[in-house]
Amino acid sequence: MAGTIVVEGVSKRFRHWEPNRAMTLQELVLRGFRWRRRDYFWALADVSFQVTPGRMVGIMGFNGAGKSTLLRLVAGVGRPTTGRVKLHGRVGAILELGVGFNPELTGRENIFISGVCSGLTRREVSERFDSIVAFSELAEFLDYPLRTYSTGMHVRLAFAVASHIEPEVLLIDEVLAVGDLAFQKKCWDRMLSFKRNGCTGLLVSHAPQAVLALCDDAIWLDHGRVVAYGPAEQVVGQYVEATGTLPKPPVGESVGSGDGRSDESGARSPEVRAVVPGAGGGRS
Amino acid sequence: MVTTVARWALPRSLEHRRDLLRELVVRDMKLRYKRSYLGIAWTLVNPLAQLLVYSFVFRVLFRVTTPNYTPYIFIGITCWGWFQAAVLESTMAILANRDLIRQPGFPAALLPNVTVGTQLVHFLLTLPVLFGLVLVSGIPITRAVVWLPFIILVQYVLTLSFSLLAACVHVNFRDTQYLLGVFLMLAFFLTPILYDTSIVPERYRALYQLNPMAYLIDAYRAVLIRGVRPHLAALAVVGVVGVVQLRLFYLLFRRASTSFVEEF
Repeated sequence: MAGTIVVEGVSKRFRHWEPNRAMTLQELVLRGFRWRRRDYFWALADVSFQVTPGRMVGIMGFNGAGKSTLLRLVAGVGRPTTGRVKLHGRVGAILELGVGFNPELTGRENIFISGVCSGLTRREVSERFDSIVAFSELAEFLDYPLRTYSTGMHVRLAFAVASHIEPEVLLIDEVLAVGDLAFQKKCWDRMLSFKRNGCTGLLVSHAPQAVLALCDDAIWLDHGRVVAYGPAEQVVGQYVEATGTLPKPPVGESVGSGDGRSDESGARSPEVRAVVPGAGGGRS
Repeated sequence: MVTTVARWALPRSLEHRRDLLRELVVRDMKLRYKRSYLGIAWTLVNPLAQLLVYSFVFRVLFRVTTPNYTPYIFIGITCWGWFQAAVLESTMAILANRDLIRQPGFPAALLPNVTVGTQLVHFLLTLPVLFGLVLVSGIPITRAVVWLPFIILVQYVLTLSFSLLAACVHVNFRDTQYLLGVFLMLAFFLTPILYDTSIVPERYRALYQLNPMAYLIDAYRAVLIRGVRPHLAALAVVGVVGVVQLRLFYLLFRRASTSFVEEF
């Protein structure tokens, strides 16, 4: 039924990003047609779990644990190397903020493009338009190009659009902490209202508070494996305890941790770059 | 609840595809000439400048005596221009839209469509100038013009098939862009754009008959200059080739698209 997520024995293998990999014919000839070296690593190894409709599940883990990879596979972006993902219902995914945004276009134009690119029809965006604008608190800047917006305004607009998708299954990749405190509270309320409306959700977060407040259950991933899956308080407790004992710098422990990140393009979480070798290399 | 979803799924998804195509084409159109002084007029500057130079070279220097040479080559230039720009720009269709490709459920195959559609709009914008040239040259516009949308449709399908191929090959093989640039430049002269197939010597004729664009350009000329019905059998063959290629390259594209998210 709508809102069920089933993940069965999912593994994901990535090719290690090789900085010298031949991308052009010239390079290929120079290296004597050695196409590419086979070098792999497993971002996810045999992950299985089920989420029943209406339940919110937090995914926790250190950087590089495979959280974002897992979320993307559940969203159907890319395919698992083995195993399968079954998902019923309309997916609203906030994996990245500001999908389809362009700095040269106005806020108004970007709302439509981003809304349609996020899965709404034009008519649905029109119906929600006033609500999106009200949520973003950017009414007076709507007809300015996006490049004139501050980072905070940019992110507010992006989140306003993303939060109006009204999904049956919600997938969120650590993007809750945007804007000032008042706006964060609004985002928070929005998430809670999704939950009240019976939305199933997967939420990647480093913040124990976020997971405790929003999620019924939690999954703790480590090096691509499920360490624990159970009631949120229990798993969060184990996770926090492990964080304390392991010699690892606490990354993004507070709700406000996203602030610094939002300056980066697309507000992609840092672990994506660590997990997906291609993601970092593509920027160079 | 579930049945409601099922009943509405198809129309809504179709509506969404249409809206996506429209929004992205409009975005491309807006962005292309944003903050440029001539704006959309650039669409015309390029083919008109080409027309000027080729007319000078061939009419003044080479003394070509083909009647109505100016509208004659303008048809070739604009029709080829649509094809070339669409296929060439499709190489960037995936790479320039990373954020969309990473969006769950985003139909990646729509992106080459956006490129071909944007270039179609440019082509349509040059049509008034083309009609103007035809009229100025004293050629009457006949009923044959009703075939024009059909020819455009066939060209759309053919162009889209090549664009799908270019888009997915370029993701893994970044030479595609440059190879295509060279290839299309040479193909411009080997396609009867600045001349007529009739002047091609008999022994090369068979090669020319393999070029689908030659038939399309001839069809435009039949309709707009000769004022007659295009060669329908030839057009149908090009259409069938286009549809078969479209199917084939779409399947290839779909296979490649599962790894797009990991390729950059």
